[in-house]
Amino acid sequence: MPSFPLVDLLDRLRDRLGLEAVGGKIDPTRAIESADVNRPGLALTGYVEGFPRDRVQILGGTELGYLRTLPAGERPVALRHVCEQRVPCIIVSGGVPLPEGMEQVAGEFDVPVIQSARPAVDVIHEVSHLLDDELAPTTTVHGSLVDVYGVGLLLTGRSGIGKSETALDLVERGQRLVADDAVTIRRKADNVLIGSGNDLLRHRMEIRGLGIIDVQSIFGIRSIRAQKRVEVEVNLREWSKDDDYERHGLNTQRTEILGAAIEKVVVPIIPGKNVTVICETVAMHYLVKAYGYDPAEHFNENLLELMRRKANLAVLARDDTE
Amino acid sequence: MIEKEVVVKNYPGIHAHPAGLLVKLASRFSAEVFVTKEDMTVNGKSIMGVLTLAAETGAKLTIRAEGEDASEAVDAIVGLIESKFEEEQG
Repeated sequence: MPSFPLVDLLDRLRDRLGLEAVGGKIDPTRAIESADVNRPGLALTGYVEGFPRDRVQILGGTELGYLRTLPAGERPVALRHVCEQRVPCIIVSGGVPLPEGMEQVAGEFDVPVIQSARPAVDVIHEVSHLLDDELAPTTTVHGSLVDVYGVGLLLTGRSGIGKSETALDLVERGQRLVADDAVTIRRKADNVLIGSGNDLLRHRMEIRGLGIIDVQSIFGIRSIRAQKRVEVEVNLREWSKDDDYERHGLNTQRTEILGAAIEKVVVPIIPGKNVTVICETVAMHYLVKAYGYDPAEHFNENLLELMRRKANLAVLARDDTE
Repeated sequence: MIEKEVVVKNYPGIHAHPAGLLVKLASRFSAEVFVTKEDMTVNGKSIMGVLTLAAETGAKLTIRAEGEDASEAVDAIVGLIESKFEEEQG
């Protein structure tokens, strides 16, 4: 299960949200495991059935207003309901003083408290965004990721089939390299896959027979890109008469990465075939379909219409025995 | 599927030269070879992949292979790493 250290959250959002840890230090081993945040309104009243205790708890205007309506002695009791769930941390938003008894109760259950100068909506937005990014499921895929006309193509295939060479050829034609060989893919909310390279390798690649080259220093800044949504997998395969390749294109193959489905195109490799042009065509074809025109579908409809007309005429001629 | 653990012994670790020896060796086998360090798994026949691991002296690696000659492949690679890449004379 991925986790994100609370100290890193504090560092990353300190300036933007005006964060400050109450009592100064935060235990560096403390980590957050849920990408969601929670407003513990109801829990303050003591109703903790189904309380999401693994989430960051954010106290906003509503919670703080409710606490103010309580008689002075009961405020720590309300806070105790939340703290005794041992939540990962509590953020008090709005730049207001801590509610009465907050420090003592939180200290008792060892719950870190952070104050923010910004209103709760901003805190929720920024914290969710950061956690969503950092806690997204991640995998490493063996392949090359290239931005081709704005479409993220993930080139896959066995070692030595020519993924890097195809990527290089695409870059030479003005496309942009995201990562070669080891592509890190994160699944963001709503099934969007984001691919990026590795900080160590950057935009270097191995070209067999030549060794390690640096794409950025050869082709310049316009030839690279830091990250890109992964939209189509192009699977390079040696041509085999037993393989079933798509011929008319009415069926779209799909594949899953981290549970998110993307389009998949299997391209058979034979000597003399221009894989680069095929890759560019895959990207443009994807765009054409995304804009609402499916050439295979359209062609087939025309064909069906033509055949219906001819068949109807034949029936007419046959029945016309006058 | 064959899998073995090995600890990197050469100093300072698997840099470009030893990585080259490792992928050359792995490429001689028809089995698919994977190298894992912590939560990162890379293709053992790809030099960029193996370099990405930045495996330093003392790092624990898992060598995994799938295919006909998987066990020979794993033994050969584990042997290479344990021999400190034959002091990188290969």
